Amino acid sequence: MSPRIQFWVILVFGLAALYLFRESGPTNYAIGVLTRCMILAIVAVGLNILIGQAGLVSLGQAALYGLGAYVAAWLALRTGMAFLPAVACGIVASGMMGAALAYPSVRVRGVYLAVITIAFGLIFQNILIEWVPVTGGTLGLTGIPRGEAFGVRLTRQIYFWVVAGSLALAFIIQYTLVYSRYGRAMRATAQSENAASALGINVANTRMFAFVVSAALAGLGGGLYTFLNLFVNYETFTFFQSISFLLMVIFGGVGTLAGPLVGAGILTYIPEFFQNFKEWQVFAYGVMLAAVMFLMPAGIVGTIAGLWTYATTRSRAREAKPWPNAAALPAGTLDQATAGKGTTVAEVDRFTIKFGGLTAVNEASLVVRAGEVHGLIGPNGAGKSSMLNLMSGFYRPTSGRMTFASQPTEGLKSHDLARRGLARTFQNTELFGDMTVLDNVLVGCHVHYRSTLVETLLRLPRFLREEREMTERARSLLELVGLTDYADELAKNLPFGHQRRLEIARALALRPRMLLLDEPAAGLTHAEIEQLKELIRILTANGIAIVLVEHHVDMVMNLSSDVTVLDYGLVIASGAPAKIQDDPKVIEAYFGNVQSIPAHAAEPVVS
Amino acid sequence: MEQILQFILSGLSQGGVYALVAIGFYMMWAATKAANFTHGDIFMLGAVATVSLAAAGVPLILAIPLAILISAFAGALIERFAVRPFNLGPSSIGWMLTTIAIGLMMESALTATYGPLGRPLYSPLAETPIRFGGSGIYAQELLIPAVAIAVMLCLEAFYHRTILGRAMLAVATNRTAAGLMGIDVNQISMIAYAMAAAVGALAGILLAPVAEASPSMGALIGLKAFVVAIVAGIANARGVVIVALSYGVLEKFIEGFISTGARNAIGFAVLILLLLAFPNGIFGKQGVSKV
Repeated sequence: MSPRIQFWVILVFGLAALYLFRESGPTNYAIGVLTRCMILAIVAVGLNILIGQAGLVSLGQAALYGLGAYVAAWLALRTGMAFLPAVACGIVASGMMGAALAYPSVRVRGVYLAVITIAFGLIFQNILIEWVPVTGGTLGLTGIPRGEAFGVRLTRQIYFWVVAGSLALAFIIQYTLVYSRYGRAMRATAQSENAASALGINVANTRMFAFVVSAALAGLGGGLYTFLNLFVNYETFTFFQSISFLLMVIFGGVGTLAGPLVGAGILTYIPEFFQNFKEWQVFAYGVMLAAVMFLMPAGIVGTIAGLWTYATTRSRAREAKPWPNAAALPAGTLDQATAGKGTTVAEVDRFTIKFGGLTAVNEASLVVRAGEVHGLIGPNGAGKSSMLNLMSGFYRPTSGRMTFASQPTEGLKSHDLARRGLARTFQNTELFGDMTVLDNVLVGCHVHYRSTLVETLLRLPRFLREEREMTERARSLLELVGLTDYADELAKNLPFGHQRRLEIARALALRPRMLLLDEPAAGLTHAEIEQLKELIRILTANGIAIVLVEHHVDMVMNLSSDVTVLDYGLVIASGAPAKIQDDPKVIEAYFGNVQSIPAHAAEPVVS
Repeated sequence: MEQILQFILSGLSQGGVYALVAIGFYMMWAATKAANFTHGDIFMLGAVATVSLAAAGVPLILAIPLAILISAFAGALIERFAVRPFNLGPSSIGWMLTTIAIGLMMESALTATYGPLGRPLYSPLAETPIRFGGSGIYAQELLIPAVAIAVMLCLEAFYHRTILGRAMLAVATNRTAAGLMGIDVNQISMIAYAMAAAVGALAGILLAPVAEASPSMGALIGLKAFVVAIVAGIANARGVVIVALSYGVLEKFIEGFISTGARNAIGFAVLILLLLAFPNGIFGKQGVSKV
């Protein structure tokens, strides 16, 4: 089932089930339990986005839920604020707290967020208990007036539908976010930080955004909880509740649309069963969490979906088409390289980088021109890859400057440079392995979207048009490299040679002015290398500037207009290929002292 | 002045506990880039096992090594069954959840069998406090930071002077390369977890005479120690111990000058701010991500 059909099926059947439930004449108690279950599901949906998309874990979700609840409660009680603005304030407060917590932690490593959120959860508990004048201490805040919206008093009967509507909203947001460039960017950062930022995605901001969304949904849940329960108390928002939320997501199936709903349902109704265990209740939770992790890591929905796919997918023959297929390239696919052939695109002025006592690159300069290949060769450890990492903003030079597209690049990060049209591939291909081949290329299109978050969430015309255009463009890039048949395959399942092609297609989705290729021919067969050379010629013919790091020296000599030779971080020669080939310094760098080697040994310069 | 001295000494004592637990986090992290998230429960296990063994009539001199052995064994098991299968790459999070599950089980199982209440452990060093002026401190309390520093020094010697220690450093630096050099990385990881658990258990046993051993004693200390280790940069034992001891002292000052109730809120807030100022930790190196 396509995600779109899944989405509509779940939404329609879910709402129909709620309607039937109400028609069956349930007790007030049953209505209350289900309302609470839906509130928990809202928080779980938010956490699912965080874990399933951004690959981050929050262990303080209950505190963000509690913050929304307490803010709404305090405003309703002390200032007499109405239901809607009070809940809105709860959402904003939790969202802002989310941003503040994420800021220090997501820059470094995902696990830090888990630790920071735990700490926040404990601080929050501490404050709830100690700051009696505001929070009411251990007694909490009581006597919150029942909410009213648009002149309607929100009785339990009506409130049920308010919460159901909010859950539907959360569910819609989850779908529209996950299946858009935002969701793709989150998944990309979770799978390869380097590749994501090389494609113009600001990793820290993307993670922060994911956490803010999940915090805001927790705040929404909290605000709704306040007006259901009509009193709030610190005991609801414990570390244990955070674990419960986590359990809901994992149990249901991380990253699936329906997972958090199923998980919240189970976790609401199962405790009634767990009551029987008395003091072993927490133990039972632990066993359940461990059992899910060991036996069903994909969760209930994930496991079922996996079986469904397995049962319904017929294996079909896929074949890679001949590439490069220049005819597949519609006008405008590579149009950012507007500079005329031969004009300077990038100029490196004496880059130096030191790692401790080691100078990896030492005052190396080079000029890259539009429509030309600049070869960068040298023995292993000469500093070629470091040079590429400097140029693409992954390393910060100890000294030296670079001008790219007539602007200095000082202080620009890799994702800034990517946005300006600098693309690269990696020596060890860095694909988003668990995303489809098509999605990999679409991540490359990320920076070219103009539709805003609101347009994306509401699926407004501009978003729909852009998504269609980008998908078309991505497909034509796949055609260029002959991988059309594999569009819906996971990238990690591709054979190595195809992965290299996909990585180039993905870099081209950025519509680069300049493309840095880090040993693109490594591991390719002879025939594939010939095809790669052909592709590079097509790209330069389209005006793209290329920096080619390669050990296949004949390939570099064959393609390049200019060659720079590095040895021990120093430029030992630069100029036209013919001149380089005869340079005694170059021959010495590759073969040692010329005198001691018979002259004909220098001929086949192939690694 | 006396009061300040009192704060510093009891702060060092508290910090010593954090240090010993945080060293464990460091060791586990170095070996596997993951950790037993509920390492605090191993700390608790050490204390509770010692008290239980002592109550069963086992003399202390035997009960303590036995409890440490039990904890080390638990640490090794956790590495084998809860961490290793769920730590498959830099973005794996499964190990967090499985170790939390085990922590929940350990804590609740002991609450149900041992009982929720704390029980003291006898120690000759916790009988009469050393008095100075109006306040006093047990020798036992001063023992804790001393042991923490001793453990740190031993660990450094271990890492640099022994084959096993060097192998462990090699695994910490580059797991794949270490494996290719014939080091059994899985075994090394397991040993690192067992050692971390032994050190954690030792901390619990040292604290038990002054703070009583209960199943819930480890959760908060474990979390604090983890945050402390991360703020320190989780890069070397020395940095971890320095930050842990300072944090213990800071806590006592907050208690003394502001309020006991505010201790965790302010303390944690300071740690979060420190992380904001030093994203790679105070003693952590700016990680050059190999592209």
